[in-house]
Order: sequence, then C-alpha cells, then structure tokens
Amino acid sequence: MDGQGFLLVCVAVPLLGSFILPLVGRVSVRLRNILALLFVLTSFMAAIRLLPQAFSGGNPVMAKLVLPAGFTLGFMGDSLAVFMALVSSFVGALIVFYSFGYIEHYENQNEYYMMVVLFLGAMMGLVFSTNLVLLYLFWEISAICCWRLIGFFREKQIILRADKAFLVTVGGAVLMLLGFISIYAQTGTFDLTAMKGADISNLAVILILFGILSKSATLPFHTWLPDAGVAPSPVTSLLHAAVLVKIGVYVFARLFLVNFNLADIWNVAVPVIAGISALVAAGAALVENDLKRIIAYSTVSQLGFIFLGLSCGSPIGIAGGLLYIFMHGLAKGGLFLCAGIVEHATHTKDIRKLGGLFSAMPVTAIAFLFCGFSVMGFPPFGGFFAKYMVIGGAVDAGQPWIALTFALGAILTIIYLMRAFIKVFLGSVSFPGAKEGSWEMVFSVGILGLLSLLAGIFINIPAELVDSIVSVLTGITIGG
Amino acid sequence: MNGLGFNTFIYLVIIPALAGIVILFLPKKERLIKSLLVFAATLFNLITAIRLFGLEETWHTKWGGLSNFGIDFALRTDRLSMFILLAVGAMAFLVAFYSFAFLRDKDYGKGFYFYYLITIAFVNGAVLANNLVLMLFFWEGLLVTLFGMLLLKGRHKYPTAVKALTLVGVSDLALMLGVGVTGFAAGTLMMDKITAIPVEGIAVLGFVMMMLGAIGKAGSMPFHSWIPDAADDAPLPFMAILPGALEKLLGIYLLVRICLPGTGLYEFLPHTPVSTVVMAIGALTIIFAVAMALIQKDFKRLLSYHAISQVGYMVLGIGTALPIGIVGGLFHMVNNAIYKSCLFLSAGAVERQTGTTDLKKISGLGAFMPVTMICFLVAALSISGFPPFNGFFSKELVFDAAMESGIIFYIAALLGAFMTAASFLKLGHAAFFGKPQLPEDKKVKEAPAAMLVPMIILAAACILFGVWNSLPLGQLIQPVLGDAMAGHNYAGWPHTPLLVIISIIVLILAIANHFFGVKRTGKGLGAVDHIHYAPGLHFIYNRAEERWFDPYEILMVISKFFAWIAYGIDRAIDWIYNGFFVWVANSVSKGLKEFNTGKQSQYVIWAVSGLLIVIFVFAVLVK
Repeated sequence: MDGQGFLLVCVAVPLLGSFILPLVGRVSVRLRNILALLFVLTSFMAAIRLLPQAFSGGNPVMAKLVLPAGFTLGFMGDSLAVFMALVSSFVGALIVFYSFGYIEHYENQNEYYMMVVLFLGAMMGLVFSTNLVLLYLFWEISAICCWRLIGFFREKQIILRADKAFLVTVGGAVLMLLGFISIYAQTGTFDLTAMKGADISNLAVILILFGILSKSATLPFHTWLPDAGVAPSPVTSLLHAAVLVKIGVYVFARLFLVNFNLADIWNVAVPVIAGISALVAAGAALVENDLKRIIAYSTVSQLGFIFLGLSCGSPIGIAGGLLYIFMHGLAKGGLFLCAGIVEHATHTKDIRKLGGLFSAMPVTAIAFLFCGFSVMGFPPFGGFFAKYMVIGGAVDAGQPWIALTFALGAILTIIYLMRAFIKVFLGSVSFPGAKEGSWEMVFSVGILGLLSLLAGIFINIPAELVDSIVSVLTGITIGG
Repeated sequence: MNGLGFNTFIYLVIIPALAGIVILFLPKKERLIKSLLVFAATLFNLITAIRLFGLEETWHTKWGGLSNFGIDFALRTDRLSMFILLAVGAMAFLVAFYSFAFLRDKDYGKGFYFYYLITIAFVNGAVLANNLVLMLFFWEGLLVTLFGMLLLKGRHKYPTAVKALTLVGVSDLALMLGVGVTGFAAGTLMMDKITAIPVEGIAVLGFVMMMLGAIGKAGSMPFHSWIPDAADDAPLPFMAILPGALEKLLGIYLLVRICLPGTGLYEFLPHTPVSTVVMAIGALTIIFAVAMALIQKDFKRLLSYHAISQVGYMVLGIGTALPIGIVGGLFHMVNNAIYKSCLFLSAGAVERQTGTTDLKKISGLGAFMPVTMICFLVAALSISGFPPFNGFFSKELVFDAAMESGIIFYIAALLGAFMTAASFLKLGHAAFFGKPQLPEDKKVKEAPAAMLVPMIILAAACILFGVWNSLPLGQLIQPVLGDAMAGHNYAGWPHTPLLVIISIIVLILAIANHFFGVKRTGKGLGAVDHIHYAPGLHFIYNRAEERWFDPYEILMVISKFFAWIAYGIDRAIDWIYNGFFVWVANSVSKGLKEFNTGKQSQYVIWAVSGLLIVIFVFAVLVK
C-alpha cells in the first residue's frame, strides 16, 4: 500500500468501522471490544507508516478529489497532521483498552464503543482534512459523539450537562463556519492548500477563534468542560487528552500557523486570553473538591500554556506548544484514567471523602504522581521540556510579563495537583476495602505514567518530530 | 572536544544514576550488595572528581531536535565547577559511609540509597552543565528525589514533603523563567558564551529570577521553612547531605556563576542596588533563622535553623560583589558543608544511640559518647567562629566585606555570630554536659565506628581548613576568581585586626550570656530563656512558632485568596450559560409564541424578511 492508501485507511477504518460495532456487539461482546481496539490501532499503525514520508521534508502525502466551483475534498498527511494523529490514536487506543475494564458493568456499551471509535475517526479525518468544509463536518461529528458520550449515564442532570457541552461547542462552531465563509469570500476556495499564505481579515480570525476557544475550553467558553466530568472516566480522558480539546489547538496550529499570515496583534491578544484562562482555571482547580472537576480545570489551565506557545510567535514557543500537546495528552489521559479507577473503587469523586488510597492502589497512585509531575513540569518527566519551551518562547517573543504570568500559573499547578494527590492517596485511610482496578485499567494508567517519564528521558525523539514540524512551519531551520 | 574528557564527565552522572537504578531493582534484603554498590559508586565519584581536578574543557553534543532551539547537551569543567564537584564527591562519600551503619536497622534503606545516588547524579549534572536548560533539567529534577526522600519515613510525613516540593518548586520555576530571560538577553543558552550581561531592562527580571532560583536551592529565605520540618520528618543522613551540604553547594555554585566578577553571567558590581538587595536577603536570613535556632529545644531542629542562617553569610558575602566577600562566601560554603554535616552526623549518632534528639530528655551524654562529643565540639566551635577553626576564618572574610559594603550589614552579621555562639553553647551544654539523663534508663554507648569515622574526618577537616587555610583558599577558592583577585591573597591570619578583636569580644559576650542564663535557670537548656521570654520578643517568638511568618503558609493563604476570586469569576461566567442564556432562550421563545397568530399572510411577511436578512448578511460577508 502506498502513502495515499495509509492515509485513507487511517481515516476510514475507525470512521466506517465504528458503525458495525453495535451489530457485532449483538453477537459477541468480546469480538466487539477487540474490533474497536483494532480499528483504533489500525489508525495508529497507519499513522506510523505515514511518519517517514511526512518527516522526510519532501511533499506530503495527498489524497484529493476535485469538485466543481472550487470545492475539493482531500486529505493531506503533513508532519503536523501525522504528529497529531499519532498522539490521538495512541492515547485513544489505550483509553479503549482501559474501557474494557471500566465499562463492562454498564448499559449501552454498543453505543459507547461506536461513539468512541467514531470520535477518534472524526479526529483522524479532521487532522488530515485539507478542506474547510470537510474540517467543519468532522468537527461537528465529534460534537455529536461528545454529546452522546457525556450523557452516557442518561440521568436528567447529566443530560443537561451534555446538552450544555454540545450547545457551547456547536455555537462556537457555527460562528467559525461564518468565519470560513468569509475566508471563502476572500479567496474563492475552501481548499486550505490553495489558499496557503493568504492574509485573512481580523473578523474571520475572531469568528474562527470563537470556534477554537469553545472547543478547546478556554475562558470564557470553558465551563462546559468541568461540567462534562459527569461522563464515564474513559470518556473524560478521551475529551481531555486525545481528541476534543486538542481539536481546537490543532485547528489553531493548522490555520493560523501553517496556513495564514496572522496580524501581529494576535501574537499578543491570544496569549493574554490564554494567560487569563490559565490563571482563572488554576484558581478554580484549587477550590473545587470534585476530583474530576479539578483535573478538568487543570486541562483548561494547561490549554492556556499550549495556546501561549502556539500563538506567541517564536519558534521555540511553537515547538513547546506542540510538545505540550503530546506531553499533556499522555499525562492528562493518565490522570483521568486514574481518577476513573478511584471512582470505580470508591464510588465517589469528592476528595474530602477520599484519602489514604496509596496502600490499596499503589500502581494507580504512582501513575497519578508521575502524570502529575509531568503536568507540573518537573524533570525528568516530559512536561518539563514543554513547559520550559513555552515559557522561554514567550520570553523570546518579547513578552516576559506574560511569561511571568504563566510561571505563576505553573506555581498554582503544583499546589492544586499536589492537593488532589495527597487528599486522595495519602492521609487517613477512607475506604479500607478499596481495591486496585482491573488489570486492563491498571495497565493503561501504568503505561501512561511510565511514558510520561520516558518521554522526558528520551526527549530527543519527540523533540525531533516537533523540530521538523516547526522548521516546516517557520520555513527556516534555526541553528543547524 | 576531547573524547576522554567527555567520557569522564558524563560518568559522573551516569555511574551514580545507574547504580541507583540497579539498587531499585535489587531485592530488599540484599543489604550487603546494596551497601557495596553505594560505596563503589560514591568512591568512583570522588576519585573521578579528584582525577578531573584542574581540567578545563567543554564538550557538547546535539540533544535531538532540542538542539535547534539552542538546547544542547553541553558540559564543561572550569575551576569553579571542579571545586564544587570535588566538595560534592567528598561529602557524598562520607555521608554514604555513615549511612551504612545508621540505616542498618531501618527498612527504608533501599529507597534512601536509590534517591541518594540519583541525587548525586543530578547534582553532578547540574554543576557540569554548560547549557542553562540542561542545568535546569538536572537542577529541577532534584525536586522529585527530594520529595521521595521526605516520604521515606512513611507516607504520613507528606505535609513536609509537599511543603518542600512547593517551596523549592516555586524557586525552580523562578529559575526556569530566569533561564528563559537570560537566554533571551544573551542570545544564547551556552553558559560559557554568556558573560557580564548588564543588569538593566529585561535583564533585571532575568537576574532576579536566576538569583531566586540559586538562593532558593541553597535554602535561604524565603524558601527555607521546609528545612526545620524536614529535620523532624526526614532520615538523618538526608539532613546531613542535602540541606547540610549538597543543596548549599549547588545553590552557591549558581549564585557565584551569576555574580562572579568578570566571568559571571551578569555584570554584578559592588555598591549597586542589586548588590544591596542580595546582601539584605543574606542579612535577614542570618538574623531571623539564627534567632529561631536560639530557642529550639530539639537537637536536629536547632541545627536545621543553622542550616538556613549559615546560607545568609554566604549570600551576604557574595552579595557584596567584592573579591574578599566572594572568597569568604565560597570558603564559608565549604566550611559549612564540613561542620554542618559533622553536626548533623553527631545528632544522628545521638539519635541512634539514645532514640531521641529531644534535649529535654537527654543530657550529660559526653560521659557515654566521648568521641561524638569531641567531634561535635570541634564542629560547634567552628560554626560559632572560634579561632583557629575553619568557620572563624571564613566568617572574618565575610565580616570584612560586609564592613566595606555598609556597617548595617556588618552589625547584622555580628548579631548573627553572637546568637550562633549562644545557641551552640546551649546545645552543647544541654546535650553533652551536666547531670547524665537518658530516656527510659537505656544503656547508652558510643556510636559504631562506621559512623564515627566520617565524623572524625569532618572534624579533622574543620581544624585543617582553619589552621592551614591556605590549602582551601590557595588551591580551591582563590583560583576560581582568577584575575578578579587583583593579586590579593586572603590566606593566613585575617588582615583586619580590629574586626578580629570585635569578633572575639562578641564571642566573650556570648559566653558571658551563657553563664548568666545557666545561673538564672540552673540548667544548660535554659541558657537563653532570658532572651526567649524577654518582653516583646516572647510575643514574636510565639507567633513564629505558630508559623505566622512561614512563607509556605503565606503562599497558601495568598493562593487560596486568589483561588476564590478566580472561582468567583468562573462561577459568574458559568451563570451566563446556565442562567442568562436559559433566561434569554425562554424569553425569546415566549416572545416568538406571540407571533404564532395563525394568519398565513403574516407568516409570509416573516419568511420574506428573514430571507432578506440572510441575503444581507451574505452580502456583507461575501462582498
């Protein structure tokens, strides 16, 4: 199979495969689970196969269908897209594996697996899309999946939360679509490759930012994300680590870094928004008592760091932002999955009621700590490099005061994550009968914790990928 | 770019780290193998540091894609780093030796050795690093081992561990920002390429942040308050090696790297505002920490406050930016590592043999533990600044520099010296002299030889570095400054007789104060009660004991306060979605209901005007 084939497999297998899962589920639960994992792994393997060509520096793999009136439907596997696909499909596969243990006692499993795989398929479609309409289409598929998955438990309160998530993100997306239309008006095409390098109006940027910031849960469009913590833990993990919120930052990178020339004002405006978001969310995380809400606010706060890196305009900052997407995906995925194990064992998420779980679930506790250290940015964990490069990038872009603000946010990160850790895992024992999760669950968190560490020790590997993306983005090779 | 040089450099990091990882995977009961491994690794470390001494080389390789952002895996040795590495190697070896006996019956030995070796690897890495980010990597990595070591005595010790992690984490984040700004201001992250950045504009931020990182690691105010808590909660060899020695060496190493005249990262000149600020931090640290040490009634806790206050002398000395002050600060750093470790180790001997370090429960130990007592006395006389021990000479150099920079700093340093002497007179008297008193009639005997040998070596070094101070000054310290010495030589007897006389008067006053206090209360432990319970001071001491001035508590209050404001903003935004939008939607739908009149003509009008609006919107957007 050639590059184009892998590209189509990467997108089509989970996207189409998801629909047969409910049918298979009626015959065999086991087969359905294995197929679900297989579909996601297929994407992952295909993305790996795309890796060499994407990072060779030559022309990216393209699969394109030209339609009349300037419409083209196409997929392109450039380095940025392949990088995102790798991160999402890898973390996604681990989450699906974790679900085997987590979800087996609940109803609607068929729908669950279908939605999860469809969700990941939509993510694959979105990252490879070269067409704004196609991109919007996948964007909204993900919103629908997200809506069904957040409302998985079907209680009235939970469904309201799901509706909220859906309405906020779709509301933003509709404004973004208006922005796309205004770009179309300006350039006469929806094809990203055709309009590369265009200057776009600030109105379009604002409209698109509505979509991006609502999807990536940034102030003031963020409150749906903590509320979405009512979803099953693998779903929240998926939303935070692998797909949903990463869609926003990816589209930001795709449109505003790769494709268009942005007015300078946005190199300050976006970091300021991100900074406020990072601080406010970090503060809220320190007040909350619900474990999943704490981690959710942490995501909002960390997304601020990613936006800062991507938007500040210096190469090292962009590299830091991309690295952050990777490190945060591993670590935050792990944190939520750990929270899921805790919730599974104790049936509560209130950290005031939890405590002393370390001896009952040592692997989960250590995985939580490892992932937490990565988010806090302590070496030798991977988050360190991302955090340094984002903060150093802001300084390099001539914004030391914004960098200082983010350093304050990083202090709050240490405080609220340690607070969550000690209240849940240390102190007096709250649930003497609590047990470690099933082996699939423990395995998944263990892997994510370990990878958070290894990604830092072997930083040269992810750094190599990120570096080659940045050198394509900025068109210059720094140093040499 | 000498291949041999690099191999030897990098072994200083790799060998301890590998030995640590091997220990992690050894079964718990293989005590002998683990001890041998630690012994071999620390001995190798020391020998390598000695072998490398005098080598001045740089070496670098690419660090994957990071290299394109100026982040190389670059190492170097120069006179400063070789001197620090040598001190690290010697201290690490001695404390490891001591630990074998101390940890024999403890079940956390394996964890301790693992963290210990990783710590040594990281400290070596931070000192060797020639790239600021690489240095930060090793430097900040110490947070994780610090956290782990503080939890060794049980997971219920977590408040101290979290406190340490937070406080040191804050200073490390300051350093992270400082590294970013310094790299930006200099245009490179390679430390050997950065010299004398003028402290102005954005570089002020860089300088301040780098400095906060350096003194935070050294344990200066305001990053100090976890150290006394750790004295209660951490294994004793931890106190001896980290707050006692390595953290000081590392923190002061960076401070000197930043401030060294001529070759430092920043242009740091005497009699400038930044110099005054650094000196003020040093002076305040001396006074407040030693004042707290004075009233402690626990052997280890008392020492831990001195671990803070002594940093004050180093920071004050280096902060003067005068060659004599920097030499004094560096000399004091070495001396402090020696006598402070010796003091902690003697506290460990007391703890192991009697089961407690509470001075209310023990006294008159000198009769049972004479060797421990002698080692303690030598180290105590050194830290108090009695001639001819090493502490006296380094303190005099700092006094000299402080006097030249402003009499207020000199007075602060003298006051600190008075209280240091007073607190050690009290400690020594209470623990080793007086009527023998032991907890629960335990039979107490001298500590095992494996613990005594490192103490004796350290005590001997206190005397050696005092009597023959031209050895450390001439061979190790003054070469660091190179040309900045301008031909001076500070070895030998202090050059300013007047200051020596004043110092000796202060020491005599401290002794007089001690006898006054002992006479007043009838016991050694009460020797400073008249200061502790003096009107006014008593009130402040009580507040301090209640942690009113603890920067960690203050940080927590500020964070909580900020967090509630942030939470309020967050809830207000959420209300817009949950309340306002719902209200708007309901109102609009109620309003629209009115238009459902059933008259078709009206519906046609709505439809047409709606279409016009859509066309208008498109006309505006799609010009």
